[in-house]
Amino acid sequence: MLKVRDLSVSFRTEQGIVRAVDGVSFEVGEGELLGVVGESGSGKTVSLLAVMGLITDPNAIIAGSIQYRGRELVGLKSRAMRVLRGKEIAMIFQDPMTALTPVYTVGWQIAEQVLAHQRISKAAAWQRAIDLLAEVNIPKPEEAAHRYPHQLSGGMRQRVVIAMALSCNPALLVADEPTTALDVTVQAQILDLLHKLRRNHGSAIVFITHDMGVMAEIADRMLVMYAGRVVERGTKEELFRVPMHPYTQALLDSIPPLTGEKPRRLRAIPGTPPILLNRPPGCAFAPRCAQRFEKCSAEPELGNGERAAACFRVTA
Amino acid sequence: MSAPLLEVIDVAKRFAVGSRFSRQGVRTVHALDGVSFTVMPGETLGLVGESGCGKSTLGRCITRLYDLTSGTLRFAGTDITSLSRRQMRPMRRRIQMVFQDPYASLNPRRRVRDLIAEPLRVHTSMSETEIASRVAELLDIVGLKSEHALRFPHEFSGGQRQRIGIARAIAMNPELIVLDEPVSALDVSVQAQIVNLLADLQERFNLTYIFIAHDLSVVRQVSTRIAVMYLGSIVEMGSADDIFSHPAHPYTQALISAVPVPDLDAQRSNKRIVLTGDVPSPINPPSGCRFHTRCPVAQERCRSERPPLMEQSPGRKVACHYPIAADATA
Repeated sequence: MLKVRDLSVSFRTEQGIVRAVDGVSFEVGEGELLGVVGESGSGKTVSLLAVMGLITDPNAIIAGSIQYRGRELVGLKSRAMRVLRGKEIAMIFQDPMTALTPVYTVGWQIAEQVLAHQRISKAAAWQRAIDLLAEVNIPKPEEAAHRYPHQLSGGMRQRVVIAMALSCNPALLVADEPTTALDVTVQAQILDLLHKLRRNHGSAIVFITHDMGVMAEIADRMLVMYAGRVVERGTKEELFRVPMHPYTQALLDSIPPLTGEKPRRLRAIPGTPPILLNRPPGCAFAPRCAQRFEKCSAEPELGNGERAAACFRVTA
Repeated sequence: MSAPLLEVIDVAKRFAVGSRFSRQGVRTVHALDGVSFTVMPGETLGLVGESGCGKSTLGRCITRLYDLTSGTLRFAGTDITSLSRRQMRPMRRRIQMVFQDPYASLNPRRRVRDLIAEPLRVHTSMSETEIASRVAELLDIVGLKSEHALRFPHEFSGGQRQRIGIARAIAMNPELIVLDEPVSALDVSVQAQIVNLLADLQERFNLTYIFIAHDLSVVRQVSTRIAVMYLGSIVEMGSADDIFSHPAHPYTQALISAVPVPDLDAQRSNKRIVLTGDVPSPINPPSGCRFHTRCPVAQERCRSERPPLMEQSPGRKVACHYPIAADATA
């Protein structure tokens, strides 16, 4: 349903052009959960913001193709995009306060969203808001609808945002680190909720996170991003059982285990992610990679297959 | 057995919120309530719990950034509970703190050299050349290059900034370092570097750590012993291995089970206990056991009678009327 081909997002800055996203391609099938992992600055959020048509910076240059159910979204007028967004594609963010206004009650904010996309009465929209709050497991939804965001806890706010995103039964939900700011016990509740919603609504979800544990739990297929590019693609099983790219392997190795023998030292990845302003030629991960060899001074290609890794060690 | 480095005895901390003119008047937040433990030299005590459980407040009380409401703090045998700022000064070189957000804890207008030299200037009478060589030495110890000394904090990545914070903390050769979520703001790959660095420093300089974090797998990795906190009190305490292999408090068990594990096989075998609801407000903490509102095994008694933190087996303490037996979860 969503086909992204060769997407690039660059930003003109005083120091030059920063290629935040560089030739990213992926697909999302109906009802599928695609997990996107990567460190900060890997381009995971920017590529999905581009899909949502939310990059409005005049210094941004977006190239490539984003097709949603056969319709091209790159270059779509902002009004046409607005109709699509909210109704068919919705997004939830890491910090729910960015999506909520502090000056209106949460019930009103959800009802407004419903009214913007559906022709129903105000009373019906309010009722729908209460139903949605109940659906995301908010206790006493009638009372909660009258509350302001600051009166709710972080987990409750994130539920409100999810309720808002669901108000029009979107076919595609983009979730950008929705549980990162939450405690593990609340995170577990939100992940359970997303599971339930997927079952009931059949929405496809693109889930951005840096937490491999969360991925292992919810993803069907995964993308691993590094320095603005996709470095590995495959099903969750493939990626966790036989990671192909050295970066994916190193990422999995660097997580301290929760059970079993405690390693004396963690296997850390040396160095830091590259600065995208002056991207060195060749594989971006090479300077930190334990398996680099002569060939890595050239740029490795990510194959077209469902299962692929951009690494010469793999293709060689 | 050597003497404990730090003794925390029945510490409480309350904050007043609101004002007499607000609708609800002045209310009291019970941030810490009857917390007691000891820390032995050279060990790492991990403090875990959800946000609002009081773990950071406890860290700040130990470093005397906050004054205690009641209770006693004893550091290396000296009562430091009510030392004045001036009396506390010589103690500060022995107790240091590293904060979560290296962006916020470093002055953006000062060069790294000066940031690291600051504690040396305050606490010692070292000459400028001595300070310069000590700064160079510290940079090397935390894995930064000598040319970094003239740069400003914004020129560094998060991991490097945390290294600067650590260099500052170890500058005075402290005995105890309170680390408040030192790796939470970092990417996983960098997080492992800092965890390793902290372990190396501990070994090299015989440091004692109090490691505050909400990430359970990181806490397990670094800690010798762990204290689990809920709503201002310790609910369970014991060696890191014991706590993770057989948690005795239902809260600890739920907390551990909620952590998503990046291992597909572990995922299937692990039965998740999803706690309902949020942490109750510390303004009106629940009666009896504070966890009873969310506890899956709560009984009538838990609603009225508060369980004390009792020794269950040597070195293992639990505050629960119905702790989980060790063999049930093994």
